[in-house]
This record gives sequence, C-alpha cells and structure tokens, in this order.
Amino acid sequence: MQEKNRGLALFTLLVFVFLLGPLVIISFTSFEPGTVLKFPPEGFSWRWYENIFEVKMFMTTFGTSMFVSLVGNLLALLLGVPAAYALSRFQFKGKGLLNAVFISPVLIPGIVMGFAMLKYVIITYNLPIYAGLLIGHTVIMLPFIIRVVASSLSNFDFAIEEAALSLGAGKVETFFKVVLPNIRSGIIAAILIAFLESFNNVDISVFMTGPGVSTLPIQMLTYVENNFDPTIAALSVLLMIITAILMFIIERMMGLSYFTKR
Amino acid sequence: MKNKGMYLLLLPGVLFLTLFLVIPIVMTIASTFYQEGSFTVQGYFTFLTDPYNLKILWTTLRVSLVTTIACILLGFPAAYYISKLGARKKGILLALAIFPLLTSSVVRSFSWMIILGKKGLLNSSLLSIGLIEKPLEILYTPTAMMIGLIHLFLPLIIITLVGVMENIDPDLLKAAESLGASRFTAFRQVILPLSMPGLIIGSILVFVGSLTAYTTPALLGGKQGVISTFLYQNAITLNDWHMASVIATIMIVITFVVIGLMNKIATKLNPKG
Amino acid sequence: MALLTLENVSVAYDNQYILKDFNLNIEKGQLISLLGPSGCGKTTTLRLIAGFLEAKDGRFLFDGKDYTRVPVNKRNFGFVFQSYALFPHMSVFDNVAFGLRLRKVSETEVKQRVEQILDVVSLGGFEKRFPKELSGGQRQRVAIARALVIQPDLLLFDEPLSNLDANLRVNMRVEIRRIQQELGITTVYVSHDQEECFSISDRVAIMNKGVIEQLDDPATIFKYPKTEFIARFIGFNNFITFGERTEQDGEIELRVGGHRFAATHNPGTANAQAKKCAMRPDDLIVTTEAQADLETNRLPGTVKISTFLGRSYQYVVETDLGDFTVNQEMETPYKSGQTVHLLFPKDKMVLVD
Repeated sequence: MQEKNRGLALFTLLVFVFLLGPLVIISFTSFEPGTVLKFPPEGFSWRWYENIFEVKMFMTTFGTSMFVSLVGNLLALLLGVPAAYALSRFQFKGKGLLNAVFISPVLIPGIVMGFAMLKYVIITYNLPIYAGLLIGHTVIMLPFIIRVVASSLSNFDFAIEEAALSLGAGKVETFFKVVLPNIRSGIIAAILIAFLESFNNVDISVFMTGPGVSTLPIQMLTYVENNFDPTIAALSVLLMIITAILMFIIERMMGLSYFTKR
Repeated sequence: MKNKGMYLLLLPGVLFLTLFLVIPIVMTIASTFYQEGSFTVQGYFTFLTDPYNLKILWTTLRVSLVTTIACILLGFPAAYYISKLGARKKGILLALAIFPLLTSSVVRSFSWMIILGKKGLLNSSLLSIGLIEKPLEILYTPTAMMIGLIHLFLPLIIITLVGVMENIDPDLLKAAESLGASRFTAFRQVILPLSMPGLIIGSILVFVGSLTAYTTPALLGGKQGVISTFLYQNAITLNDWHMASVIATIMIVITFVVIGLMNKIATKLNPKG
Repeated sequence: MALLTLENVSVAYDNQYILKDFNLNIEKGQLISLLGPSGCGKTTTLRLIAGFLEAKDGRFLFDGKDYTRVPVNKRNFGFVFQSYALFPHMSVFDNVAFGLRLRKVSETEVKQRVEQILDVVSLGGFEKRFPKELSGGQRQRVAIARALVIQPDLLLFDEPLSNLDANLRVNMRVEIRRIQQELGITTVYVSHDQEECFSISDRVAIMNKGVIEQLDDPATIFKYPKTEFIARFIGFNNFITFGERTEQDGEIELRVGGHRFAATHNPGTANAQAKKCAMRPDDLIVTTEAQADLETNRLPGTVKISTFLGRSYQYVVETDLGDFTVNQEMETPYKSGQTVHLLFPKDKMVLVD
C-alpha cells in the first residue's frame, strides 16, 4: 500500500514540476543581463524590467487592456447581475434556452467570435475598433459574471426579500439594502474572475486591433515574433504576480471551490 | 410570481448578446452559403477538396487528440492522489494547479519557447549531457504545439477530476474492500466508473479547447498551421473573408457536434449515478 | 363591521385553482388561526392578505378600504416567516429598526422603540448580536419584534413555530398569545398543528382543499366538528354512516343494519340531512353486562386488540358495523376475543357531513 502511494506521490510531483517548472524558468530568465534568453541566466539584472516601461507600446496597450477590462467589466455587471438575479429567483419557460444563450460565449471558439464580431459588428455598423474591443470583452465577461453571481444566489433565502417588502421597502431598495450586501463577496469574486479572463484574452482581441489600438497580450505576441529578449520574461513575471494577488483575493471571497465545481 | 419585472431584468443581457454575438455568428454561417448573390455550397467544396486544407484539419485533429489523451494519462492519477489528501495539502496543490490556468496563455506558451528553442533549455541540457549531437528542432513543430497545449489544459483536467472524485462517497471504497476487493480492483470497479462522466466532460473540454486554441499554436507551431491560425490568416493576411467564414463555420460545427456528443454521453452515464 | 374581508377571492397558479370564491371575515382585535393539512390553501390565503400574491378574482377589503391592488410595501402588515427571514448582514438592532427607519422615524425614537420591543419579547440586551449567533427561539423572537415595532394594522404568522423543538413551541405560543392580547392587535395565524391553533386562538378556520370547512371558536370545533374531515383531524376516529334519519321528540333517530341509535342535536350542525356520526375513543363505553334497559345506542362486539396506554386501555372492538376504538380506564383489562358491549351515549354522538 505504501509503495503505491509513494509511486503516485512521485508521479504527481513530476506532473506539478511539468506544470510549474516553465513558469519558474521564465521567472529566472527575466533577470538575465544579456540580450539573449538563456537558462540559467548568467547574472542578475533589473534591466529588462526597466525596459518594459520604456517600450511605449507596452504602456499604451497596458492602458488599453486595463480600460477595456474594467469598463467591459462594469458593462457586464450592469447586464449580468440583473440577469443572474432573474435566473435564480424565478421559474419560467425557456429558462434552459436563456441559460444556454448566456453561457454560449464560453462554448463558441473565441477566434470564431472575434472574427464574426469584426465582420458583422465593426464593419457593418462602421464602429471604431476600440468599440469592438469593448463589446467583445463584455461578451466574454458576461457568462462569468452571471455564473458566479447566480452561484452566490443559489443559497440565498429569498424570504428576506419578502420580509423587507412587508416592512415597507420598495423593490429596488430591497435589492440594494438586502440582497446585494449578502452577495457582496460573490460579486467581488465575479469581477476578479471576469477581469482575469478579459485581461488575458487573445482570441477575440487579435481581431480587434488596429492602428494604435491593441491589448497587452496581443502586443506581447507581436513583440515575441520580432524580438526574443528577456523583456517578455520580465513582463510575464509582473503579470504572474498580479494574477497571484487577484487569485488570493478570490480565494478569500469565495474559496477556490468555484473552480472545482463543474 | 410577478413576471413582468423579470423580463425587464433579462432583456438588456439577452439583447446585448443577440445583437453582438448571436446575430454575427448566424450571419457568418449564413454568408458561407452565398457567393455572388446565389445559394451555393461551393465554398465548402473548395475547402474540403484542397489537400493543403485537409492537412491543416488533420494536423489540428491529431494534435488535439494527442493532447487530450496525454492530459488524461497525466491528469487522472494526479487528480486521484490529490483527491485523497487532507484538506490543507489538497488546497495548496489545487491552488498550484489553478494558478497556471489564470495566467495568460501568452506567458505560458512563451515559457515553452525558451525551453524548446534551438538554443533553449532542453537542447542545451541534452547537448551538454551528450545525449544528442545537434540540437533537436522541436520548436515550430506540431510536437511543440502538443507540449504547449498539454501544459495549457492539464490544470483543467486535474481540477475537473478532483471535483468529481471528491463527490464519490468514500464509504463506497471501504464497502468494496470489506467485500474482499483489493485496492486495485476497488479502484477499477468503483472509482473509475464513477469518475467516468467527469472524465468525459473534462476530456471534451480539453479536446474542444485544443481544436480552437489560437495563442499556443501561433507561438509554438510556426508555419505548421491549425484551423484557428488558418482562420486568422485567411481573414487578416489574405483578406479572403469567404474562406474565413467557411473555416469559422466548420469550427462551430465541430465544436457543437463534440459538445452535443458530450451531453448525450453524460446523460447516458448519469443514471449510473 | 369586520376589519378584514376577503370577498369571493380566487387564486390560481398555472390554471390550477388553490382558492375559488373564497370568503373570510375577521374582527378587530381577534387572533384567528387558519388550520389544515399541507395544500389546503391556508398559506396561500395568508400570503394573499400580506400582498405577496395577487388574486385572480375577488376583493380584499381592509378597514373599509379596497386593498386588493395595494402593493405589499404599502399595507403596513407585520409578517413573521417560518424561516424567520432575518437579515443576516444586520445586527438584531438593525433588523428590528429596519421598518422604522424606512418610515423616517428619528434615530432617538428608533432606539427607544427598538429597545422597548426587545424587552417585550424578552430579548433585552441582544441588540448587538447577529442572527447567526442566535438560537432558533431567539431568532423567532427577533422576527416577531421586527414585525411588531412598526405598529402594524395586522399581524400575520406563517407557521412560525414549526422549526422549533417541542418544548420551545409550547412556550413560544403562549408568549405570542400574551403579546397579541396585550397589544390588542388583530392577528392571522397559520399552522398545521391543531393543538397550537386551538390553544391560542379566538377563532379557528379549518381549511381543506381551498375551502373553509368550519369557522368557530376552538371549544365549539372541539366538541362539535362539522365534517368528517375535521372530526378526523381533531381526534374522532369512530364513524357510523346511517341509512335513515328521522326526528322524534326533539331527538334524532338513526337506523342502519337493524340497529337503532338516538342522538341529541348538535348546535349549529351544517347539514340537516347529515347521516354520519363521529365519536371520540374516550366517549364510548365498553362493558360486559348487557344493559337491558338500553335498546338503543348499543352494539355487541368482540375485542380484537387490547393496548395499554398508561392511564387507560385502548380496545379495538369488532362489530357488525365495523371496528371501533375505545379508551377506558380499568383495573383488569378485557382480553382479545372477549365478547363485550359498546355503548354510545346519545349526547356524545356528533353529526357530521
């Protein structure tokens, strides 16, 4: 018995080395003082970290990514929270169909969505590419918001809404005073998860780029195709740190069970 | 049960998705059947008879299949081990598994570029040990894509499977053992069948994900195309919108067929509990 | 004039009628219970009064005004939920103050009234606690305080005690009745527990399948249930269905299968043609001596089962009119198979529909 367990433990260890090793390697290479990516690095230097801030395109696209992911998030909240509420609270015909529609952005290949949106939204309505980016990211964030908020509401005792009404509160007032405060952590988790999905997204953003408009991941892609220096490694490390922080906050808000439930 | 307000709550979201997602997709699919004003399936005919295109389809399928199988082989045992750990260790390992999932695919694929390149980590180590004489050309091949995709989707399989296995009543294993089953038999006859629905769902997610992934093939695949990069090429580089729409439609069809299959299998396996 | 009137009210869900042409009048200051099994429509009626449901037809009149279309939050009725429905993110104080603050009451007055009402429900000093720190009984009292503090025109209870354990239930219902009488507040109380309703109500409406089968004070219902359904619900388990009924000398004469029974009139019998009688196990008498001067209300039978209940013995006696259950205190019990005579006192025979 012990043998089997030790073998399995070793196997699992190797799997995790495989999973995390490359990320560790990339972290080390980011400190390489020379211009060629190599591992192990031949020294230690912050040079490439400084370089990030000097490449103008990184700064601009970082700003674009942040703007799109935050504003899109807000839009997704405005569209998604009421929808999640309605889906949790009421029973009605066609609920299954609506659920399918709301989850469709997750099922349809991102590349296909980006293409379809480019062709039939940007070009058809003659919208600026920035708008396309915003719309596209809102579309991919919407299912995450709805799913996480609906999940928070699944354990909600809606009787307290009726209690508030019986005491004289209006419907909207009840939502803000009684429902929202109790799903606060769920909403924060939803915002963070959606943000990460949007910020890291490539499949949709790749079609929604134009002169002067691009997102950070796309810019990184372009950079890598032309330069193979440790700047990307440094940038990757910074992004991983941000991811880790956000993940920590998500865990505090909702626990990581969100990811294991399917 | 006042329903009037309810529709108002759902309307904005539904409208938004219909306008900006459903209609564009439907139009994309529809446009493939119209060329020069008349209904035709010529586009598909052209696509499916070109050997170059078929090679791309085949490469995509091949890569996705290998990725899925590898993910199962690597992920299942790891998930089983994790699911049997105590809460604290399990939490830490799960967090470590989830972390790569939340990292950008660009970062993850890029890390493999460092490892698999001609002057990359793998080659320099193998060369210095003396296992090979000249650097292996892994980068920019389907093999590199597979490695990258396995790395991309393995966390997904592990997490899905751990979730499924956690729901298996631990008393079942004990019952089997008390009836005389060895650890291995109990595993084979209890854990395996009960994890099957979750395994299937996880595999399909990996398979569909690999089929339609863009970043990893773009960075690691080089000129060896898969459908997603091919779609991009046709749309942006070659400006052949019609062909791009055809490709897009084929991708949608494959995705939905595979997902439909998953639903069928999942419901068939559900009564087994 | 009644304070509250439901007039020909119908409530349907998905084309299934739960209440149809339903009528109910409630006087001011009374505690009236709606009692019945699940699905009888009592909760639907309560929620209709509260305003959580809309009636398909009919009117709801309150204090002379038409409240049918008045929204929930404008009715000023206090509602106490089965699950208590306390706001988990607010302290006891804030929970109770919620309704007052919506009414723009000054903070000083809020403090005074909240503290006062918490004393009334014996929760003085609990202001800063949160619902999750409280026991079931304490939460229920907070829920009651919250509903009372707004000085509602009507108090509504939806099975408030069903989630509490037995001892607590008895204590709490006494408390509720005490508070209700002290404040003189009109109250509608829903429960499926007969003992609970009978012990605290001025009047009880027994409901079955969307219809009120009897509306009377508890003592009347207890002695004279109007229908078989009600009789069974409150503990009558002996029934005889007669074939003929005639009135003679101020008494009712009933016959079936060669037997003749006499019964005195029940006050307020619903149906003047009722031919079914109900009796409690405690009201029947079982004896071995044939009482020669009693030609009526007597059945010979055989003891089928004999059970010891503590204070008395319970017998199931087989007769040619069926099995009857009778409880009787005695030193030496009858044995299975023994021949006995069942006596049915004519003032204990209750005519039911």
